[in-house]
Amino acid sequence: MENPLSVRKPDDGFAIQTFDLTRIFGKLVAVDGINLDIKKGELFAFLGPNGAGKTTTISMLCCLLKPSSGTALVMGKDINREPYKVKAAIGISPQDTTLSDHLTPIENLELIGNLHQLPPKIVKQRARELVETMGLEDRAKDQVRKFSGGMKRRLNIAMALINDPQIIILDEPTLGLDPQSRRIVWKYISRLKKNRTILLTTHYLEEADFLADRIGIIDEGKIVALGTALELKTDMIDTHTIIIKAWNLTQKTIMEMKEKYEDVQITDGTMTITDKRVGFKEIVDYLHNAGTVIRSAYIKEPSLDDVFIRITGKKLRE
Amino acid sequence: MRFFSLLIRNIKETYRDALALGFLLAFPLVFMLLFGFAFGGNGSVSYGVGVVDNDSTDASHTFISDALGAADVLYVNAYSSTDNALEDLRQGNISSYIVIPEGFGEQVAMIWQQIPGNVELDITYDESNLSVSSNVISIINSITRSYLGIEIPITINTNPINIESKITQIDFIAPGIIVFGLLIMIPTAGRIMLRDKETRFLHRMMTTPARPWEFIAGYSLSMAIIAIIQVVLFILLGWLFGMDIVGNIWLAFAIFALTALCSIGIGMIAASLAKSENQGESLSWLFSMPLAMISGVWFSIEFLPSYIRFFADLFPYSHAVSASRAVITRGVGMEAISGDFIFLVVWTVVVFIIGTFLFQRSMRS
Ligand SMILES: Nc1ncnc2c1ncn2[C@@H]1O[C@H](COP(=O)(O)OP(=O)(O)O)[C@@H](O)[C@H]1O
Ligand SMILES: [Mg+2]
Repeated sequence: MENPLSVRKPDDGFAIQTFDLTRIFGKLVAVDGINLDIKKGELFAFLGPNGAGKTTTISMLCCLLKPSSGTALVMGKDINREPYKVKAAIGISPQDTTLSDHLTPIENLELIGNLHQLPPKIVKQRARELVETMGLEDRAKDQVRKFSGGMKRRLNIAMALINDPQIIILDEPTLGLDPQSRRIVWKYISRLKKNRTILLTTHYLEEADFLADRIGIIDEGKIVALGTALELKTDMIDTHTIIIKAWNLTQKTIMEMKEKYEDVQITDGTMTITDKRVGFKEIVDYLHNAGTVIRSAYIKEPSLDDVFIRITGKKLRE
Repeated sequence: MRFFSLLIRNIKETYRDALALGFLLAFPLVFMLLFGFAFGGNGSVSYGVGVVDNDSTDASHTFISDALGAADVLYVNAYSSTDNALEDLRQGNISSYIVIPEGFGEQVAMIWQQIPGNVELDITYDESNLSVSSNVISIINSITRSYLGIEIPITINTNPINIESKITQIDFIAPGIIVFGLLIMIPTAGRIMLRDKETRFLHRMMTTPARPWEFIAGYSLSMAIIAIIQVVLFILLGWLFGMDIVGNIWLAFAIFALTALCSIGIGMIAASLAKSENQGESLSWLFSMPLAMISGVWFSIEFLPSYIRFFADLFPYSHAVSASRAVITRGVGMEAISGDFIFLVVWTVVVFIIGTFLFQRSMRS
């Protein structure tokens, strides 16, 4: 194998760089030679289905898991050579909510802060601030085992921030949250952005779409697409979808459309047409001339879901 | 001090956990209370008897093995001199001792040939423990007569001496219960480590720059502190029930501390090997309860078959019981228990090396 560093050079502008980062569990290649640059100050989202290798990648970046081969630089420090310096630069909110059950939120936050060996005064102050930001101040003196799932989840995120890290890693930050709480967390994450680097993983498309500067789509341990949400949609989707609702679609018209275009679906008087060369005006005119009364017609924007299906041949959420 | 933060956290996590606290304190406490009340009176079932055989003939040997040795209520210890026997009597190891005088064999032979003779035995006993001594004397008397098959003449010269310290049942029971409390720290010692592993809170803490040794020190020291609180509490409670500590309290304390460290080490090994908190805890209980049974924490194990005692003696607890009992009830010094003490030290060191190694290995992935 060639020296991975020879392909790309370490660069100060990047917060995280991975070089053929690989992790194998027995016969399963969970992370398969990932090469990735994450810029300082960007919010990067790893988007992929369950089992894609997101958590495994993150565990290696946090030095909890040794790579089977390859390496990564985190704020310029090699995860294999200087794990403690890497850990000092990172704050992580793990996928599973993990808190010390019999401690209060303040005690939980302070514990992590103390383990980072920050001055006790600062730890105390930040813990109080974070409890407030997360809306937990009413319960600041209660043991966290009595908290609701949503409250625990928020504290789980807050604990990633107690050391004011250069890199924040959020592994599925809104996993298991109801849509409303999810929105609250999203807002909070976008406020966090500012000058920090954030790496988040998710299998919710809207989350990546809403939050991320750049998205890496990961499947079966490989990065299969990389770019902004817009880039991914325009680059990856070369078909267009037009949706038409009409009163009097006849069998004859439908048969004609099916002959003309690649994919035509009919449900309850709604016709969905997908093809590489599909002109909006062309279709509307054609139907009009055939005597069809059109209620509405619009072009559907491609979603990341479409991107995902397009690339991997499967749906994200199943 | 990172490891100090861990230590404080572990102590909080344990004493706020009702179940853990229950097993650590309430459970042995209940035993202590039960036994404390049960043995307010005299519940002894057997007596240790020393024998000094000055005759050393076939007749005296068979008398010791077939007559005295066959009696269930006695367990017989042979001594080479009266000095040794007296020392053990003073220390409460035996309730009395018999001296078989020279010429015993000849006298027995004469009696069996219907020639008049006089069989003499000297019994020295602890006057201060009269109820036991009078029982023992009458038992020996009847055993001797039925063995020789004669009514008279037999002279039993009794020789009461007064021994200062009185050993009550609670003196005997309390060290055992304390060791029991320390033994059942095995499941609780591993509990918090296992839970942190299972919930992956340990992994979250490991995303900070804290070093592996700091986690291990944080876990074991917090348990050690809890163990010390436990020991102090039990000693106080023992006092309440009338336990006297005759010997050096610090020596007793050292024995208990080593025992606690052994339990923590075993707990650490269990926590490293177990897959889940449930599995680890049930396995630890399955291991520690029978071990408690055969380690003599509740009753004397003199009567157990030797292979069981041999097995029990491989573990630190039977040593801890006998050593702490010797110090607390008989006031022996380090010389007398050095064997047990060294055993405990070696166990502590070995179990900690293995535990640290295994736990550190289980932290890596
Ligand atoms: N410790 C492990 N041992 C064996 N297989 C594992 C381990 N951790 C993860 N895997 C496997 O690796 C693959 C990737 O898992 P993961 O990184 O957790 O995916 P994601 O976070 O994207 O859902 C999965 O197939 C998972 O079963
Ligand atoms: Mg995951």
